[in-house]
Amino acid sequence: MSIRIFTMEELRGYDGRDGRPGYVAFDGIVYDVTDSWHWKNGNHWALHDAGRDLTCQIEGAPHTGEMMRRLRIVGKLKKS
Amino acid sequence: MGKVAREMVEKAGIDVDKLIKLLVDNAAAELTTFYYYTILRVNLIGLEGEGLKEIAETARIEDRNHFEALVPRIYELGGKLPESMVDFHNMSACPPARLPKDPTDIKAMLKVLVEAERCAVRGYTAVCNLTAGKDHRTYALAQAILHEEVEHESWFSEFLGEGPSGHYLRRGETSPFVAPFMR
Repeated sequence: MSIRIFTMEELRGYDGRDGRPGYVAFDGIVYDVTDSWHWKNGNHWALHDAGRDLTCQIEGAPHTGEMMRRLRIVGKLKKS
Repeated sequence: MGKVAREMVEKAGIDVDKLIKLLVDNAAAELTTFYYYTILRVNLIGLEGEGLKEIAETARIEDRNHFEALVPRIYELGGKLPESMVDFHNMSACPPARLPKDPTDIKAMLKVLVEAERCAVRGYTAVCNLTAGKDHRTYALAQAILHEEVEHESWFSEFLGEGPSGHYLRRGETSPFVAPFMR
């Protein structure tokens, strides 16, 4: 099965708002947060938005990247 | 609203509207948890449920106290609670702590309880991280709530056999850390 590769521009379209699916990238993997309670309307705890690469933001987060394992993988992020 | 109270936080470089949203979402988590814990507690029956009653009751009341303590700070900063309680429920920073399908499954009940507390620990850690050294009043409040949420997590975690918590039961008193914010 082929894995979808997302560009940053494509990822931005999945911001979880107005009924759109919400995807986030972390460490090169793209995850689906659409149905996650923690990502309502594409926003996580007022501080993080879907449609973005959150790799750098994990440092200030109160959890590790292990938390991403709870999410469904939908693809990979194209390396810039 | 406390005009200067809000100004000081803005001046320190915090996006106050984001902070308010975070506080409202966590306040929603507290009040909804109080509700769901009420249902969980009444179902803690039988030999297995008996041992959990006291910590479930204490966590339930303390989470309600956390809601009470958060409300004044939300309004001080210029925020407000939503008019609709349904909207408030759906804003909760943490998923609903629903009764397991089998209400006699005490282990499943414990997992719901411990996950709810873990979400709260992360939530208040996030508020502390955001406000440390900048918004002294919100930081103090969030830290006090965090102290109690960490204890809640440890009580339930201990029941799951995850190791000693090191904590003693409250035995009647509640919110030793948050009580000063409820006067």
